[in-house]
Amino acid sequence: MKVLEIQGITKQFGDFKAVDNIDFSIDEGKIFGLLGPNGAGKTTTIRMIMNIIAPDDGQILILGNQNEGIAIDNIGYLPEERGMYRKMKVKDVLLFLSALRSMDKKSATEQIDFWLDKVGLAEWKNKKVEELSKGMQQKIQFIGTVIHKPKLLILDEPFGGLDPINQNLIKDLMLELRDMGTTIIFSTHVMESAEKLCDEIFLINKGKKVLYGNLNDIKHSFGLQNIVIKYDGNGDFLKLSRNIKKCNNYGNTAEIQLEKDADAQELLREAIKECKIQKFEIVEPSLHEIFIESVSENNEEGEGNE
Amino acid sequence: MSKKVFAVIKREYWTRAKTKGFIIGTLIFPLMLVLIFGGIFIFSIFFQPSTKTYYVIDETNKIFDEFSTSLSDTLKNGSPKFNFVKMDILPDNMEEEIKSIQKEVVEKKIYGYMLIPKDILENRTVKYSAQNVSDFEEQHSLSRAISNVVKNIRLQNLGLDPQQVRDEMDKSWIRLVSSQITDKGEIEKSGTSSFILTYILTYVMFLMMMIYGGMVMRSVIEEKSQRITESIVSAIKPIELMFGKVMGICALGLTQLAVFGIMLSVIVTYGEKLFLKFGVTDTEFLNVIRQINFSPMIFLSFLFYFLMGFIFYSCVFAAIGAIVNSEDEGQQFTFPIIIPIILSYFIMFNVAKNPDTTMAFWASIFPFFTPIVMFGRIAVSDPVMPSGFILSIFTMIGFTALMFWLTAKIYRVGILMYGKKPSIKEAIKWIKYK
Repeated sequence: MKVLEIQGITKQFGDFKAVDNIDFSIDEGKIFGLLGPNGAGKTTTIRMIMNIIAPDDGQILILGNQNEGIAIDNIGYLPEERGMYRKMKVKDVLLFLSALRSMDKKSATEQIDFWLDKVGLAEWKNKKVEELSKGMQQKIQFIGTVIHKPKLLILDEPFGGLDPINQNLIKDLMLELRDMGTTIIFSTHVMESAEKLCDEIFLINKGKKVLYGNLNDIKHSFGLQNIVIKYDGNGDFLKLSRNIKKCNNYGNTAEIQLEKDADAQELLREAIKECKIQKFEIVEPSLHEIFIESVSENNEEGEGNE
Repeated sequence: MSKKVFAVIKREYWTRAKTKGFIIGTLIFPLMLVLIFGGIFIFSIFFQPSTKTYYVIDETNKIFDEFSTSLSDTLKNGSPKFNFVKMDILPDNMEEEIKSIQKEVVEKKIYGYMLIPKDILENRTVKYSAQNVSDFEEQHSLSRAISNVVKNIRLQNLGLDPQQVRDEMDKSWIRLVSSQITDKGEIEKSGTSSFILTYILTYVMFLMMMIYGGMVMRSVIEEKSQRITESIVSAIKPIELMFGKVMGICALGLTQLAVFGIMLSVIVTYGEKLFLKFGVTDTEFLNVIRQINFSPMIFLSFLFYFLMGFIFYSCVFAAIGAIVNSEDEGQQFTFPIIIPIILSYFIMFNVAKNPDTTMAFWASIFPFFTPIVMFGRIAVSDPVMPSGFILSIFTMIGFTALMFWLTAKIYRVGILMYGKKPSIKEAIKWIKYK
């Protein structure tokens, strides 16, 4: 079942097109990466999903329907800009947040105890938020996002400002929730964490789709362009070959990026003619590389058009 | 009303109702007022001065005896308040003697002296010199006592019996019993009491709108500056959040009013006994309060105009809170909002005296002024309803709804705008956003 379907949504602020005609859909129980540089349109997209702002065009289906009132209670949203009522007790903040998700007090209280215990903050229940460390507050915010057992969880930069231990804790919780069937939209510009967690990604830049699909498929399609060669002899051919777009030569090892339409086999044939090849490997690029590659390409195109 | 709005109302209400500031403000503040006034009274008992000695130089030789016996007040401990010593001084020695008296005053042997000149009947001036001349009450009683003696002398000079004249004058005081003519006939009503009622209630309205309106603004700013808003509006519509905020804080204001009201009625009911216990017999002011006719109509219209005025102005405060990024920025905007509130209070002062002028009518229809001015007119005219009363109910509801709708649009955009403070022009553009 599609948990979320986005069809051609567009949002313009004055002359600035924040989101330009994007489509994607998410299957149940997947971690979906909504990736892009700062200011790409991630938060605007999320705000439209959350019905905080209305799209100018297109539609959004949550759990197959548009009935925002019921649908919205099935979503948990951890915004990038997040804070809490500093003067309120932890318990009261969480009770308030769960009431906003239409939970009754009894089950909310149970869930609060369950989650506080789970993240090791049980004894802070009756403390005021301002007495907590920043890391603790982040954990409370996470609890506030998942307390109503949402079917769809939207996390905007959930690791921002967390130390490695707490990052790990949140990551484990994300995986645990996914295994329980929760669908997660993970929005970030940090590719390392997205690479480890996401099943599918949607890469957005300047409001437009850049890449969309299964992470392995994307990597696979990019992987054919990256090659590592270990050789003996004269490496000058690397400079001359018209198949090579970029080359990092370390003397006897070179990391090569092929031209878009180039064939790796052709390069291998060229190489064999010139020197002794010890290793010729087609490598999967990291998501980080894919990101930089796609975004800078996209930016150049954009500048060309202007 | 959705359960979510109720959750917001509950949060806004309880997080504030439980604070020390609110509890102190509500329970202890009126108590403190009582204590302060009681304290002033108690101090005035403990800090009674000792007997004051005055030298009196009576050049007429006619006044001293009657004057000194007429002032027989005693202090709490029973000793007399004044001790007057008659000084007979020959005119030739006057300067010298005065100097030596002055020396005695400086050395605090005596408190001061009075010089009653020969020509007092014509010039009506007495010289009063003392260590301290700030006790105007005492000076007043001294001058009244001398005046009385002078009055008697002058009456006698005309061949009249002073006592007889005094009795006649006492018998000629008249009292004006005021009544208001209504369609149900004439109703006896005290002008002072209805004025006091009107001023107190409109003042309460005025304060509440400013203090609690500011609270709405700070509540919005807290959520915005602490970056809480986005989590909240992902679960509830901004317009519902704003509504919940205004209502929660409004409920808080009503709570405070109710507590004050109960306290006041307790004071009015049991106050007299309490004051008597402290030795206060002058309970005239309680009578004034008791004469106030706090009719159900006044009560209902107070509630209505207070609620409308509060919502009307709170919406503006909420919009300002959404536009700015910090409380400091918010303060700059507060003043322009409270100007119409202050203005309406001043207008009410004039309107209360003449509630049926054309100007009074229009001022009470203008929505920024309606709550205070129209209520003021109702309170002074009660039980007759002033002109435009029905109209103002509809215009006020209409304009409040309009204000709510407009400010909710600004609010919705503003709460998620971080960074640079937008101009008012930009904020007004937000109204048009989809």
